[in-house]
Amino acid sequence: MTATPRAAMPPPEKEPLIRMEGIHKWFGDNHVLRGIDLALEPGEVQVIIGPSGGGKSTLLRCTNLLERPTLGSVWFEGQDITDIRTDLNDVRTRMGMVFQQFNLFPHMTALRNITIALEKVLKLDRKEADERAMEQLRHVGLEQKADAYPGQLSGGQQQRVAIARALAMQPRLMLFDEVTSALDPELVGEVLAVMRQLAEEGMTMMVVTHEMGFAREVGTWMVFVDGGVIAERGRPREMFANPETERLRQFFSKVL
Amino acid sequence: MAEVSLEERMPVREAPPDTRGPSSPVSATALWLGIAAIVAVLGGLVLVQANYALSDRVVTRACVDLGLRRDLTGSLGVCNIVEALRSSQMTVLLYAAIALGAAAMALGWGTYKRMDTRRRREQTVTGAILGLQAVILALVLLIFRDGRPDLFAKHFLNFEVLGPYFPGTFLDAVKNTMILAFVGELGGIVIGLVLAILVISQRRAARAPARAYINFFRGTPLIWQLATIYFLLLFGFEIKLAAFTVAMIVFALNTGAYAAEVFRAGIQSIERGQLEAARSLGMSWFQAMRYAIVPQAVRRVIPPLMNEFVILIKDTALVIVLGLVASEYELFTWARQGVSDTFNATFFTAAALGYLAVTLPLIRLVNAVEKRLRSGLVSIAGAAA
Repeated sequence: MTATPRAAMPPPEKEPLIRMEGIHKWFGDNHVLRGIDLALEPGEVQVIIGPSGGGKSTLLRCTNLLERPTLGSVWFEGQDITDIRTDLNDVRTRMGMVFQQFNLFPHMTALRNITIALEKVLKLDRKEADERAMEQLRHVGLEQKADAYPGQLSGGQQQRVAIARALAMQPRLMLFDEVTSALDPELVGEVLAVMRQLAEEGMTMMVVTHEMGFAREVGTWMVFVDGGVIAERGRPREMFANPETERLRQFFSKVL
Repeated sequence: MAEVSLEERMPVREAPPDTRGPSSPVSATALWLGIAAIVAVLGGLVLVQANYALSDRVVTRACVDLGLRRDLTGSLGVCNIVEALRSSQMTVLLYAAIALGAAAMALGWGTYKRMDTRRRREQTVTGAILGLQAVILALVLLIFRDGRPDLFAKHFLNFEVLGPYFPGTFLDAVKNTMILAFVGELGGIVIGLVLAILVISQRRAARAPARAYINFFRGTPLIWQLATIYFLLLFGFEIKLAAFTVAMIVFALNTGAYAAEVFRAGIQSIERGQLEAARSLGMSWFQAMRYAIVPQAVRRVIPPLMNEFVILIKDTALVIVLGLVASEYELFTWARQGVSDTFNATFFTAAALGYLAVTLPLIRLVNAVEKRLRSGLVSIAGAAA
């Protein structure tokens, strides 16, 4: 690999929560990911930064196999989920994902957005699902919006409902794909606050973001993805203070 | 540094010339001329016809000369239509309409650019357009009445021959038309939804037969499908079904192909993120379709499906190729039977009025639903985008 690990990868004898090995992804002739290795221990926050088109989102989507890697394996809770025999629907109940465009179901209330998967996938009964959903809405500070439709909510509120929807499944890992990029600037803070709180509660997270302040303060680890490879990895503070590669220095000079 | 005076920085220039032309003194006269012209031709036609129809009259000498014998059913009504059309009142009204319309056009298109408000300009142009329509209508009526309006009225506007068939069997025919169309549409929606799900499949093996079905039913004439499937069931499978039942089945099969394309477009119009969000929550593909995608798609395809329904109502006329029994007659078969009983085509006119009575409210409903859905969906889905 091109990058020289500054802080060592997690010790190999302990199985990490998620481990990606030699991930390659082609879209037709376009070689988007060119060999990615990544591992994450429970409770850690992995921040993924990099220029657009560099493969960050594809990497995240390869984690829960919304995109299937062309080459390489993803290990989750000790199981190779790229194995064709894996029940991905079951795996995805333990891996929540939040999207840039929120992707709430517009024909359902905020509460129903959350309970639908609880009832149809986890097979909870209605009452149990409602309780769990209300608990998550409280968690993101939106319990009074339970009966509102997505169209009646602000972008920031919609994104918080989307986070609550993913959290209600009680996942072991949360994936965040540029979740503040589609928000008006004044709404970014409320979403970041929820994510920060989540990190403090010990949730394991992989976060693709352009919010450098968040990356620096909340990230346990940070990778700089450029040209389909991890060009640099390490502790966020060290990387911000002292970028080793020219590419990262240039990236920082543009975004900071 | 020397002070620069205001005059030096901004030299005084002459005011730009006023490019506005003079205002027209006639303001909205063209609108009134246009309205007068259209009232003269349309209102005149209705009033003169009503006057002849309602006043106490007999079949005139001129009508008898045209071949409208006094003992012929409905000859008085037909005679009144022809006489009214050829009356001197009508002549005056038609030429008046042409004169007024021409004046409205000349005045309207000559002066609309010189109107001093947008409202006046719109009124003036509207007057000119109405004038044009009045002139065209009046000319068409003039040509028509100089032809053989008596023959046309005798065969297509002789409503007295409907007597024994109206409203009794006519209403049954309307009812049967609606049953055929409604059952066909409902069956078509079920078939179409299944086909749509198959046709968007990633797997060629699942997609190919559905695609073949759709292409076959969209690619062959409905009238051929009706005849062939009837005999396919009868001879090929030795299933003896009433022609009416076969018609319902064929309409469902045919509508299914069209509805499938409508549903496919609706499903594919749902943002890709919706499917991904559902899958990321652990839903299977079918669960994602059922709970997240299809409910949204169905809302979007209600207007095109209702349009298909309007088309199907008219296409039920094609059952004429099957041998229906009298109690199963829909509008068109009813009309043909009436025509062959009486040798008068007014039954077809009545059938057309019957179709319009059903389709016009439906078309209005489609437009209303479409309008409401558009604004409704924008407020629900628009903010999410």
